[in-house]
Amino acid sequence: MEHILVVKNLSVTYVNKNRRVMAVRDVSFDIDKGDSLGIVGESGSGKSTLAMALLRLHPDGTKITGEAFFEGKNLLTISNEEMNDIRWTKIAVVFQKAMNSLSAVHRISEQIEDIYRVHCPQTSSEEIKKRALELLKLVNLPDRVYRLYPHEMSGGMLQRVAIAISLLHSPQLLIFDEATTALDVVTQGQILREIVEMEKTLSTTRIMITHDMSVVATTCNKVAVMYAGELMEFGLVKDVLTHPHHPYTQGLQGSFPSLKGENNILTSIPGFLPDLSKECKGCVFAPRCSHATERCFMEKPPMISVGETGGAACWLCEGEKYGK
Amino acid sequence: MENKSFIEIKEIQKFYPHKDGKLFHRPGEERKKVKAVDGVNLSINRGEILGIIGESGCGKSTLGRVLVRLEDPTSGDVFIDGVSTKEMLKTDPKAFCRQVQIIFQNPFDTFTPRDTILKIMLRPLKHHNIGKNYEERLEIIKKALEAGGLRPAEDIMSRYPHELSGGQLQRLSIIRSMFLNPGFIIADEPVSMLDVSVRAEIINMLIDLAQNHNAAVVFISHDIALTRYISDNIAVMYLGRIVEYGSADEVIKNPQHPYTRVLISNCASVDPFEQREEISIEGEPPTPINPGPGCYFAPRCYMADEECFRSYPGCTLLGGSHYATCHKLKHPSDEA
Amino acid sequence: MKRIWDKFVDSIKCDYQFRTGIIGLAFLLLIVVLGPVIATHDPYFYGPDSLAAPGEAGHLLGTNHMGQDIFSMLVYGVRTSLLVAITASMISGILGVVIGGIGGYFGGKIDVIVSEIINIFLMIPTFFLIMLIVSLFGSNIMNVMIVIGLTTWSSNAKLMRAQALSLRERTFVKSAIALGETKLQVLFKYILPNGIFPVVANTTRGMAGAILTEASLSFLGLGDPNIISWGQMIYQGKQQTSWWISTFSGIAIILTVIIFYMLGDGLNHVLNPKYKKGGK
Repeated sequence: MEHILVVKNLSVTYVNKNRRVMAVRDVSFDIDKGDSLGIVGESGSGKSTLAMALLRLHPDGTKITGEAFFEGKNLLTISNEEMNDIRWTKIAVVFQKAMNSLSAVHRISEQIEDIYRVHCPQTSSEEIKKRALELLKLVNLPDRVYRLYPHEMSGGMLQRVAIAISLLHSPQLLIFDEATTALDVVTQGQILREIVEMEKTLSTTRIMITHDMSVVATTCNKVAVMYAGELMEFGLVKDVLTHPHHPYTQGLQGSFPSLKGENNILTSIPGFLPDLSKECKGCVFAPRCSHATERCFMEKPPMISVGETGGAACWLCEGEKYGK
Repeated sequence: MENKSFIEIKEIQKFYPHKDGKLFHRPGEERKKVKAVDGVNLSINRGEILGIIGESGCGKSTLGRVLVRLEDPTSGDVFIDGVSTKEMLKTDPKAFCRQVQIIFQNPFDTFTPRDTILKIMLRPLKHHNIGKNYEERLEIIKKALEAGGLRPAEDIMSRYPHELSGGQLQRLSIIRSMFLNPGFIIADEPVSMLDVSVRAEIINMLIDLAQNHNAAVVFISHDIALTRYISDNIAVMYLGRIVEYGSADEVIKNPQHPYTRVLISNCASVDPFEQREEISIEGEPPTPINPGPGCYFAPRCYMADEECFRSYPGCTLLGGSHYATCHKLKHPSDEA
Repeated sequence: MKRIWDKFVDSIKCDYQFRTGIIGLAFLLLIVVLGPVIATHDPYFYGPDSLAAPGEAGHLLGTNHMGQDIFSMLVYGVRTSLLVAITASMISGILGVVIGGIGGYFGGKIDVIVSEIINIFLMIPTFFLIMLIVSLFGSNIMNVMIVIGLTTWSSNAKLMRAQALSLRERTFVKSAIALGETKLQVLFKYILPNGIFPVVANTTRGMAGAILTEASLSFLGLGDPNIISWGQMIYQGKQQTSWWISTFSGIAIILTVIIFYMLGDGLNHVLNPKYKKGGK
């Protein structure tokens, strides 16, 4: 398989006047073409920061180290002009509050035309309309939406419009940053299904950033679990969610009750997120981990591969031999 | 329904005047109303947790606020142990507070930002004359904090709310309510703003409340899997009315009302292998302004016919305490 | 207590307006306390040298037509100005907070009545009302202060009402009600303390207004003739051709007003919950 995005040793540090917050530390992963990767983590796990850094949308004064190769180009070192070109045409992102990013005084049609012409200034209105209607159909919206103002639509419809807009230039990589979190159960369920459905016709690669394991379970084939800025575990969804290796993933999974299955006792993870401004010698999760040994506090565990494709950053997995 | 439950919610209605932007109304003109809660009947026993699920705007939070009387119902009443809360509020409003308590959604805003936790916790004790003097009250608070897993208690007590985490604050909120030893607790989305890894402690604390303090708990949430986990019974609300009620497993595994089916089929599950029937419906819930004579769900329903638009369906008992309000259930012989 | 002090020191360091205001205020208070020491003459003493120019006959800034020492009058005038400023804005602040708080918190019919009263007071030309009252009831300094206070509370009330309106929807207010606290307890324990800061800032700015109003009244001859006030000095200077009488008192008024504006604006930044360290 061809890797579409390769991230190597990515670290993001927010530098404030008197504080340095290491929001993402030393994260490496790659995504194959046509994959859907879910990045799960709690608030403060650095999952959104990671996405912002890849798109270079981070605030000023942020230090980024490492590499992120997209189609052979390092996203972190190319010029701003090149980056502007890549955004939306090659990589598109949909935010949680995407519906709020639409202007209230312009029709959807005008806004779509404006956005389209940023990258292809010469396109005629008819052409854009044809493309937009195609996309609106893809996200289950009727044609009349094209002539509406944002206030005439519900939150779910606006979020669909935002997804349609992100697809305008048929990007290779789509990033959803908590894109369905603010929506109701029914709307969220339907949009998630549409996203999966839509991928059958478009060959896009997708990154789904969410705190909700169940969203990943229903829409992704690969998952990466983040905690305190570090990658804890990655692998195929069906492997990781049924047999999690890392204690954090296990704990996270224990906090989600099953909808129809056995009612297992819910467990929580005791303790708090560590202070991200401090350097951490051992495993970041060790202070909250029930399996932690002395070694966990002294030495940071590397990503140890488990199974055929998965990996977990935990010393517990060292002795075990899965798969082979 | 049994005749004698601990909590009897009878025909609760809450209407708001519809703001249509008109300054004056003709004298005879009837003003439009938003029917947030439209005739809810429920009963809850001691030690039982009742989950209420529905989309946002279905009136579940309004119902919660009416139950604790943060808002007065337009009509209807709640009976606690056979005593009308209307009477209770007239004779002794403080006694009502000791009986009914609420846990709010946003723990970060539940405490006044200007006081320390100690001061905040002392207020209800003083107000309800619990503990004779300062030392005794201090002791009560300390014990309660430690029992609630907030250690060291002294340290927590000297903090300000913004220095604590959401999980800690929500625990404090439950502990504070428990000082009054209430028999009826409403939890309005108590974990939706918390991090996943601390949700379970709050959930388990609520279960403990029901089981060991013998309290009746109403758990309002949009998270269906979580509601099923915590609840004994579940009520599904749509546009201010209960459309289905029954034991948690019955409602989730064997939903009868089309709305419940839609809700559950669209709920994402952590189990990647779970089989799902997929039902799509149009649009989102409308604002309940004069929602017509027929079934409120009919305009979005995938199996609605003429009858559904004509009259609101009555209750259909489905065995046990399970019931749903849908015309289609009465005539299973009709095409489904 | 320590937290408040730390925050105070912090704010002084970070906000230049607040810093200027505090330094200015300290300066004014120093003059009030050390007045008798600083003043070279007794300002109430009608000396022999009338209309002496600055520097003449030992008078630093000259004298007026009655032989009073201008410099000493300026020094004692600070007392009047501060007295008027503080008393008037206290009255206006307290009235505004209570009335606005009640209107915003209780809502409904009470709010309708309260906000209409606020609107009426915002609409009427306050200065002419003050003039009318003072000329009817005599112009001693007490009257002036009370009248200024009674006519300027409306902007404070408007601010407080807006605060109360948003605070009453906050969860901690709801939870206090659910815990059985009475409406008055909620109002005084939660609504007022949490909503008072913008009003405090506004009141401080209002002090500048009060000083100006008092000066204007004095300038129009409606001030208290038994008290030394800067406005009155300007009024005296107007009748003479000696430039120094009006000029120095005018400068004093301008400086004091600026100090209170700075303080008010600074307080507004510092007390704003969104204010962060190093913010501008």
